[in-house]
Amino acid sequence: MLPLAATAQLDLLEPERAFEFSARAMDDRTLEARFAIAKGYYLYRDKLKFSVEPVALAGSPRLPPGKLKVDEFFGEVETYRGTVVVRLPLANAAPGRAVVLHAESQGCADVGVCYPPQAQKITLGLPARAGPPGELIEAAPVRKSWFN
Amino acid sequence: MPVPMSRRFPPWIIIAVAAVTAAAFGVYVGQRDPGTQDGADGSALLAVSLPDASGKQQSLGQWKGKVLVVNFWATWCGPCREEMPEFVRAQTEFGGRGLQFVGIAVDQQDKVLQFVEEIGLNYPALIGGYGAMELSRTFGNKLMALPFTVIVDRSGRVVHTQLGPLRAEKLRSIVTQLL
Repeated sequence: MLPLAATAQLDLLEPERAFEFSARAMDDRTLEARFAIAKGYYLYRDKLKFSVEPVALAGSPRLPPGKLKVDEFFGEVETYRGTVVVRLPLANAAPGRAVVLHAESQGCADVGVCYPPQAQKITLGLPARAGPPGELIEAAPVRKSWFN
Repeated sequence: MPVPMSRRFPPWIIIAVAAVTAAAFGVYVGQRDPGTQDGADGSALLAVSLPDASGKQQSLGQWKGKVLVVNFWATWCGPCREEMPEFVRAQTEFGGRGLQFVGIAVDQQDKVLQFVEEIGLNYPALIGGYGAMELSRTFGNKLMALPFTVIVDRSGRVVHTQLGPLRAEKLRSIVTQLL
């Protein structure tokens, strides 16, 4: 047996804990998505994608600017830390209807580990016209997403 | 509705994962943490066959008898890309003495090909998908995160597994003892 030193165990969070996804309905045509990112972890801005069904989004969501990180091969990439909040306007008002918000995200830990892309979804009930905003709802258990 | 496994994964990966899982359970019962698998049987890893970046099928068994460093990586994984130039240097330095790196990319072929050319990768970059992640899990990668590296000695025994970057000094200290 080789006299190998014991490997330092990386104390890593499950991806759905490292990147907690939640959302709420603001009004009958606007959703708000939220990622609470644990300390020592970050998400890639350009890997963050949202879609809604059956009512579509009103175009591409405007993602807040991230922090610039220089990547040796990809050049400048933007990353998020802390909390990211994204407003998601829908193409049409749909008072009282249920919609499903899908999010895809991909992030890493500062210790030098990256998680595969995660797909998550949250079902939200849109409020009635001029009704109060919905409550913040956390994502259902994660299912691994693969792009190939 | 659940999707049948055969529709989600190509048959080769199902067979490979089943073989590796069976072999892994023959040695260990339950999950092991990375870095604690010294002595595990790596023969199931050597039985894996995957297409390389040019589409040609490659069996890991062709490198049996060499010191094999199998690195699970992806182009979307920054820490993976950062450690690979060191692997290229080590392959150049120790390749003649029987060291063989093999990358298994959890990624798309076109992206892998582009990156391979960009850094002048001098060892095979095989293409895996979800099945490759499952394969890494049988060697202790519980979170299925990247990079993850498995070092197999000449007799096919797993001597080291590593989640996260494998530092140059550590890599060299392990492989020089095995060569």
